[in-house]
Amino acid sequence: MHESEKYITIMRCPVCFSRDTDVLMLREESCRHYCTKCSFRGEESEVRGMYRDIQKKFHWMTKRLTLEEQRKL
Amino acid sequence: MHRPTQGPLYSIFKQQQDLVHRIGLKATIFLHYRDLFDETIVADALRYEREFGDEIGLALHDLSGPGLVEAGHFIWLHYLDRKREILQIIIEKYRDVFGRGTTSAASYHFDASSLQILKTLAPEIQAVVGGCFEEGVRVFHGCNHSWHLFNEGMPWNPWYPSRSHTLRPAADETDAAGVVAVPHLMRDMSLAYEGRNDFWASHPPNIIRGMGNDASFCPYDLNLIDQFRMQEEWNDGYSYYNTFVGSSWLTWNHNSEYPPEVAWELYTKFLNYLAELKRQGKVHDMTLTEYGCWHRKHRSIGRAEVYWAKEMLYGSGKHYFWMADPNRRILIDSTQGGSIGDLRPYVGRVPVTTGPDTSHRQIGSYPFLIQSQHRTGSAHHYADGARTTLLIGNGEETIDACTLRAKVDRVTNTGSEAGVVLTPVSFRFANGLEGELITSYTFLPNGNTKIERIISKLSNPDAELTLTEYFKGAPGTTEYPEDMHGIRLSMDGAAPQEVEFNYSGETFESHGSSRVSAFVPQTRTCIELVSENGPAKLGSLCIGPLFSPYFTLSLHYKFNGNGNGNGSIITCMNLKSI
Repeated sequence: MHESEKYITIMRCPVCFSRDTDVLMLREESCRHYCTKCSFRGEESEVRGMYRDIQKKFHWMTKRLTLEEQRKL
Repeated sequence: MHRPTQGPLYSIFKQQQDLVHRIGLKATIFLHYRDLFDETIVADALRYEREFGDEIGLALHDLSGPGLVEAGHFIWLHYLDRKREILQIIIEKYRDVFGRGTTSAASYHFDASSLQILKTLAPEIQAVVGGCFEEGVRVFHGCNHSWHLFNEGMPWNPWYPSRSHTLRPAADETDAAGVVAVPHLMRDMSLAYEGRNDFWASHPPNIIRGMGNDASFCPYDLNLIDQFRMQEEWNDGYSYYNTFVGSSWLTWNHNSEYPPEVAWELYTKFLNYLAELKRQGKVHDMTLTEYGCWHRKHRSIGRAEVYWAKEMLYGSGKHYFWMADPNRRILIDSTQGGSIGDLRPYVGRVPVTTGPDTSHRQIGSYPFLIQSQHRTGSAHHYADGARTTLLIGNGEETIDACTLRAKVDRVTNTGSEAGVVLTPVSFRFANGLEGELITSYTFLPNGNTKIERIISKLSNPDAELTLTEYFKGAPGTTEYPEDMHGIRLSMDGAAPQEVEFNYSGETFESHGSSRVSAFVPQTRTCIELVSENGPAKLGSLCIGPLFSPYFTLSLHYKFNGNGNGNGSIITCMNLKSI
């Protein structure tokens, strides 16, 4: 397998992941990906957009909190 | 800590080693049994030891190799005889290769028998990687119900494992298994309770797995280090941190949607920060055996440890407080007004060995009396579940303190006695009566916990309140109900009762009660609430039905504001071995 193929093959189902479950998706001929555990099916761009949605709950994902700052939290 | 992977991934292990040495840190290298047959791996390990002071320990994450064809990965899940046979072969091979016994070993988990066998066969062992903090139900779900590592209820920090249950801190030397154990990783003490703890740990690729990074930007990795450093303040200047990233996490893998360079960059930044702290004299790096010896010299058996957790990924502002000593591990959920969210009554010293020839099979967790995440907690559907709370009553209305969000205000810890005080919370009834509540806990070394509720600033100083100290529990190790037959509830007072738990759904009351208790053979524990304010107005016991399988102990106090709207009640929550 070429590196580029691995890159697009390894993706977890965003619906299952939103429930904290890791399920690897499989790839269809049409370049869509489908979940083996739930009914989700979608293209890579859609999947990555859903990952972004999942991350929205992490309001401090990009916030550095130093030791001193954590003491004051 | 590093462990090699054979084949193409071996180059990644070497890169990991090169990285830590380049930035001035040393490592503990754990070799698997099969690695001991590989001359290159052994020669490299000896060079690392010679040139950088690394330690060569024994990895038990893959037990297979010549003569051990189907030994698998999990030493604690074998038959007793097979555990001994496997460990004997592996330990002898280590001796043959290095001409000495190993002084450290690593596994995801050791049960009581596998650790005892290990220590007997390799008496030189000083320290082990001995468990994965709170890895259990949620990780089982998250891995598609395929990761059967049930390892909940252990200390978050290094500990002296007991002989009878390795996840329980030993009470004394005679109870101790003879080694120091460290957790596989350091976990986020807020999110490890709320969800999958394998996402939020001292392991940058785990954060990628949890999607807590924005590509190669992930300040959370450093925030977690600093939160552990913060704990020095309440633990006698002491804190512990480690990382244990296997080579497979630093290449393409099924837990990441990023190319490997992202994991590498985050791993490098993370280690660079630790190296920088070392240069500043703020941390010391040690191999596992060095740490085990340091721990034995500086951290006595039986010491209470505390952790003030401040959630820092969602930005919720939540605080949790953890304490552990040989008699219990307790989590206080300040956001639920100071409810107990998790209670492991170590005082019962429940013995657990795992394997096909045991009744526990693969469930190695230390049993709980309360686990609010697995067992409902506060009510939001049918009824509430395992938890504690204070119910504040006035007239026909009751306010549940779990709806009053507090934070941790102060933490104390002398090493034998620990305490936590929460910030004041205000409450208001529909009739306009207002007041303020401060909750504090004092954890005494004998397993008793004093719970003080201070009421102040009542808007009507003559108002009368009913304050109900409430404990709802169920013994268990997973989220599913277990057989509660054998539990006995009792109370004193005008109508003393002793009743068998039979899922009847009945409630019993006794006026003037000052003690309500539950005898719980499943945890070999008696839990009791004892009034320190003289007899309460009423004691009550509740036997939950099968649809709500919990026992409930309550003490209802009459409270008036002493003419000035202020006062307090103290209830002692005692844990006794039975």
